[in-house]
Amino acid sequence: MTATVVTGASTPIGEAVIERLLGADAARRVIAVLAPHEPIPRRAAGGERVTWEHADLTRARDIHRLLFGAARRLEADTLVHLALHRSALDEGDRVRALNVSAARELLDAVERHPTIRRFVLRSHAEVYRARAELPAVVDERHPLEFDPRAPQWIRDRVETDLEVCSRMGLTSTVLVVLRCAECLARGTGSQLYDWLGSRVCLTPLGFDPMLDLASVADLAQALTSASSLGRHGVLNVPGADRLPLSALVREAGRAWVPLPGPALGPLYALRTLALGSHFRYRQNRWRFHHGVVLDGRRAREALGYVPSHPLDFAALRRELAAG
Amino acid sequence: MVGDGTPLPELPALVRDGGHGFDELGASDRWVRAAARWLGPLHDRWFRVSAAGREHVPARGPAILAANHSGGLPWDGAMIWRDLLASPTAPRLVRPIADHFVPSLPFVGTVLARGGVVGGSGGNARALLERGEVLLIFPEGVPGIGKPFRERYRLRPFRVGHVELAIRHRAPIVPTAVIGAEEQMFELFRVRLGRAAAAPYLPVLVPPWPLPVRYHLLYGEPLDLAASHPPEDADDPDVLEAGAERVRAAVAGLIERGLRERRGWFR
Repeated sequence: MTATVVTGASTPIGEAVIERLLGADAARRVIAVLAPHEPIPRRAAGGERVTWEHADLTRARDIHRLLFGAARRLEADTLVHLALHRSALDEGDRVRALNVSAARELLDAVERHPTIRRFVLRSHAEVYRARAELPAVVDERHPLEFDPRAPQWIRDRVETDLEVCSRMGLTSTVLVVLRCAECLARGTGSQLYDWLGSRVCLTPLGFDPMLDLASVADLAQALTSASSLGRHGVLNVPGADRLPLSALVREAGRAWVPLPGPALGPLYALRTLALGSHFRYRQNRWRFHHGVVLDGRRAREALGYVPSHPLDFAALRRELAAG
Repeated sequence: MVGDGTPLPELPALVRDGGHGFDELGASDRWVRAAARWLGPLHDRWFRVSAAGREHVPARGPAILAANHSGGLPWDGAMIWRDLLASPTAPRLVRPIADHFVPSLPFVGTVLARGGVVGGSGGNARALLERGEVLLIFPEGVPGIGKPFRERYRLRPFRVGHVELAIRHRAPIVPTAVIGAEEQMFELFRVRLGRAAAAPYLPVLVPPWPLPVRYHLLYGEPLDLAASHPPEDADDPDVLEAGAERVRAAVAGLIERGLRERRGWFR
């Protein structure tokens, strides 16, 4: 009997990963980790092969209980870490505890764990620095965003990514970091999804950068493949949709309104105040000017991953129209 | 004559479409064809471009065109781009490598990207060569395009990046000379822009639109540096310097030939 621990199990990506893991191996069990008091998803797959566990990942005691309790009992061999604070508006120690410290605590525990031999982190394309002088096609050696003025949302993701990378080669646990293209879906923390929530999408005048967007199905495929990888790796996970910002707005059935860049920050701050959107322009400013498209060669070679599930823009339009 | 409004020669898809009509660097087949139509009259009637040696540009696979740069504004790049796109022998979409400030320029950066221009970073060039595209590099960089009229057709020192790419990615270098662009506009003075500006300076040029000088494009025999250097040599500074000097000498030879053969600025 083998099992995989999946944190962030109630997110769309978490649910899809669980479904794929169960489908790929009839003998595998999944320990699906939810936040405290979070209800078990109604359409949860897997039946008895899924063990639902509530854990506050910001508490070392909860992590210990999870990994040395249920995970040891079920002889889990892999941990897939997806849990992150989703709202870009929240900042502070509590957010950082989930985004960064939780990953560190999980890693510490996994290194001591008797059965878990693999740790897979879903990292993000947003960790890469986007500037005019840097390549637009980004491989894993691309500079990361170390700007101290970057919002905590980005700084946390960079720190977590590096936390895992820095342990590669120093531990017998296989560490895999997947730097995933943005997943344009509700409930995934996608900034672009929140941005498209408005009927009118403001963009910087004179710029129309390329975006790399992934579907839930593609990310689930990459994360599932990574959970059987036998060696350390930092891998880009591109999406099947590469298109300019203006084309995304058009595909989503929204109105594209370019305005001078300096006006966008205040306008979006007003929008957040008025409508409560989670979109923050300051966080997305660079990628609204310069494209970042992930080079997925390494993932293709290591995982056999080729993005093959394009986004369903007709469904996206319906979803956005329904609010 | 494409400039007469007739369609471009029957071409396969010019851009590797990522599913939405754009490649990963933002080039668009539709935009490329529109730009080719727009540049047609300039190529055919204004600059009356004549070309020799197009057969030296490989019909397929990676290659690097290394050309002299001049004229205040990069009309030389546009004419090479347009010339090879409509080449009767082996039409190819050339991907010009622009200085890295270009993608920062509003409108300009976006329009050029749609036509296939990419920012000058090693990663972008690497990605294009690996998928077998043709790059257009001006190894003199900005000092080449901004040199004074009295120094026309005198090549500035060549940078070595194109040689490194050629050796590492096993791509031939096609030395290319542009005759005519040096006389199209004259720089009166330049306005230094602050550090916050994307471009290093703004040239004040007369006339504001280029003179109808005649362009002569000469494509030389490919230099196959990869034949004499293994990929590891791409890290050897001496090899790169020597390679760049070899390319420079080849371009200088073509310039000399072009100047000898032309009968005046406008002929």
